[in-house]
Amino acid sequence: MTETALSNPPPLPLVKPGTLEIRGISKAFPNVQALTDVSLDIRPGEILAFMGENGAGKSTLLKIINGDYQPDTGTLSMNGQQLTFSSPQVAHKAGIRVIYQEPEIIPGVDVAENIWVGELPKRFGLLDRTRLNEQVRGSLKEYGFESALPMNLLGDELSSAQRQLVEIMRALKSGVRVLALDEPTSSLTDDEVDRLFALVRRLRDEGVAIIYVSHRIKEILQLCDRVAILRDGNLIAVKPAAELNDAEIVRLMVGRELSSVFQRKQAGTDREILRVENIKSNWHDDVSFRINAGEVVGFAGLVGAGRTELAKVIFGELPKNSGHVILDGQDVTIHRPDEAIAMGIGFAPEDRKREGLVLIRSVLENASMAILKQLSRFHFVNSRLERSVISKFIEKLRVRTPSLDQEVGKLSGGNQQKIVLARWLAAKPKVLILDEPTRGIDVGAKAEIYRLIDDLANEGLGIMLISSELSEILGLSDRIYVMQNGRISGELDGKTATEEAVLGLAIKDHFAANPKAIEISNQKESIL
Amino acid sequence: MSEKQTKQSTAPVKGGDTLKRAVGFIGTDNLSLMFALVFLVFLVTIVSGWFGMDGGDKFFSWQNLMNSLAQAVVIVGLIAIGETVVIIAGGLDISVGSIASIGSVVAASVLVGVGTIGSLSFLTGNVVIAVMAGIIAGMIAGAINGAIVTTLRVNPTIATLGTLAAFAGFAFLLAPEGKPVGVMTQPNFTWLAQGRFLEAAAIPALGGAKWTGIPVLTVILVIVAIFVHILMSYTDFGRAIYAIGGNATAARLAGINLSRIKILMYMLSGGIAGLSGVLLAARTTSGNPINGNGLELQAITAVFLGGAATSGGKGTIVGTFLAVILVGVLNNGMNLLGFNTFIQRVALGLLLVAAVAISQWRQARAESSRTRIANAG
Repeated sequence: MTETALSNPPPLPLVKPGTLEIRGISKAFPNVQALTDVSLDIRPGEILAFMGENGAGKSTLLKIINGDYQPDTGTLSMNGQQLTFSSPQVAHKAGIRVIYQEPEIIPGVDVAENIWVGELPKRFGLLDRTRLNEQVRGSLKEYGFESALPMNLLGDELSSAQRQLVEIMRALKSGVRVLALDEPTSSLTDDEVDRLFALVRRLRDEGVAIIYVSHRIKEILQLCDRVAILRDGNLIAVKPAAELNDAEIVRLMVGRELSSVFQRKQAGTDREILRVENIKSNWHDDVSFRINAGEVVGFAGLVGAGRTELAKVIFGELPKNSGHVILDGQDVTIHRPDEAIAMGIGFAPEDRKREGLVLIRSVLENASMAILKQLSRFHFVNSRLERSVISKFIEKLRVRTPSLDQEVGKLSGGNQQKIVLARWLAAKPKVLILDEPTRGIDVGAKAEIYRLIDDLANEGLGIMLISSELSEILGLSDRIYVMQNGRISGELDGKTATEEAVLGLAIKDHFAANPKAIEISNQKESIL
Repeated sequence: MSEKQTKQSTAPVKGGDTLKRAVGFIGTDNLSLMFALVFLVFLVTIVSGWFGMDGGDKFFSWQNLMNSLAQAVVIVGLIAIGETVVIIAGGLDISVGSIASIGSVVAASVLVGVGTIGSLSFLTGNVVIAVMAGIIAGMIAGAINGAIVTTLRVNPTIATLGTLAAFAGFAFLLAPEGKPVGVMTQPNFTWLAQGRFLEAAAIPALGGAKWTGIPVLTVILVIVAIFVHILMSYTDFGRAIYAIGGNATAARLAGINLSRIKILMYMLSGGIAGLSGVLLAARTTSGNPINGNGLELQAITAVFLGGAATSGGKGTIVGTFLAVILVGVLNNGMNLLGFNTFIQRVALGLLLVAAVAISQWRQARAESSRTRIANAG
């Protein structure tokens, strides 16, 4: 499919290629020196990786390139001509585009209009719908994203992956010299990643300078030509990818050696803690599985296979048409998340910011939210008890926060995820559902979260681990279910499973058209 | 380091730090309101004199503070307190004025035993029953709002715009032949609005100021404000309200029953509006179906002026309380200085816009500092 797309590239808007020269850039924020004297060339026809732990300065550098921030010192220039970006719009005009993880999408309008927003084709002063659709359909087809990004979806129905695709299509439409992708694959499945890579390589061959920011070393080595490594705001090294390997990159990033991918040792018990029988819903066709106490059960599959929705159906957030959930031997009926929690199920959603946390409230309030009832007497929250309970978990998880009263939105991604986990540790569930628990998190925090999952399972929890990172699924799971098009397409033993086996089950008959493969994002939230 | 600071924040504030404690209670966000209040009082009492306007000197008389000012702010103040809760949760209740009208008619009817409601009552003349009836009528109206918003999933602004009209009409239907119900002959009831506590007591410290006692109305406002403040600061209900306003999806996924909390919240707002209707009936000596008209605008103005965020999740009862006083001083000052009511209305409208603009600006600033820190690196 990708091949056919490649054989017939659509014309890209003509933009003269250019080298973006970054010279002596420094940037400080209150209490943080985010960047110190960074100099770097971003060359046309090359894919350059930015790597570093969270807080290393990658995002700040991207934001300076994109015109979101102005550097304190240092310059940007293109082909020797100095550039000053007062805003992202100015950067876009110069042909520089940064694709962030959470692009701006207009909720109520469809994909086609979202892509062409600001420059919609007009006819007699009205929107020329036919022309718009033709253009968008054409370009989606050429890049191989037809099925991944159905044109008629509205902005608020798009998954994270689809939102990114919209943003990439926007950039391509108006012509790019420098295209930066910030963690583009963190929510994509392997199949989508392949297509994205094909696209990125093609753009490189056409003379676009590509910046690729990712935590995934394997991807970087596979895709990129050069790797720039940042640590604590300093540019540590810029090396050709061919001269690097996993261990070397990790060493440069963290300044110390890290044991490679986590491998869980202990297996679960035989006591069944959760059994799901014949669930049918708008997203699922007869799904059955079981999780034992002390077991980590991985759920692999492509985006849109129905894994997140399965978690939400079990948790009472999405409705089911039929089927049973048997929790600890009892057939339970769950209509709402609070009922699920009361029965001993916890759920850490995929999208921390949209679904996991109340960003404007404190660490304490976010972490204690699921156990407020236990902490209250006559509806009065016992704040001394609350603080002592929560601070225990905050310490255990080694959350870096100045205090329990810190606004959660001001913490880094890894620490935010730990707050969500602290909430569920405090709630002491029997079954904990983790949906992409390490998405967008740096290497160090990731390792901590793996260890935590392992510990929790050893303490007897049943863990349902949904992840799109195969190494994570393979390293942590005792058993693996692979989902595809709303069904379970296979079950594998965690010890013996291979990437190939998982992938094989995930894409068994992927190309058979199935409308359910479209990821339907969460129900729209009616504002009070 | 985190541990140390956590402990610090849990440690009780030392007794000597009265100022610190006061600031903590008022909240740093509300300090600007205090300054605005002081500045406004300065304008009314001192600056007005420079321009040759009379009346500013009367501001600090006990008569003015306790009669005109303290009483004038009570009705709007009560409604604003209920409205604060709704706005913190990210909602809006426009129907409060009409609910107050219903409360006013119901309480008066029950008290004197007239009309549809009055005929059902077997305890005419009982003030407690009449007040309770007004509050319960308001709570029922609030429950209807809550049900429309949760079960029918109607946007709260639209839902309460609809019930604003519907409840206003209903207030007329409840009144016998649509006419006001007089309560002049019920001194126990009108005492709620006209009575004074400590009327006879002499306070030597006040010296020359003429002591006239503390109005019952003011005491009721303070009690309700403290009640709701406690509700919002120390209970699981208050936590849920802030969480829902901050991120409703996250709140639901963390086990908060949104429908239940929202219905309770609209009942609280409705019940308080009902109470303020009862007090209006006592003050105007009639349960008039137009009693509550227009109160929602003043109340919502006060809430936003008090620092609540239009997008929800932020706001305090203390802030609203200060804002209510600010609006009261503005009106009172303009009265004293002889501005006509039309100018006052223009000022109030502009104040609402200014309050929301300031709140938006604050949010934008907070947002940018948040993303800056989260992305610093």
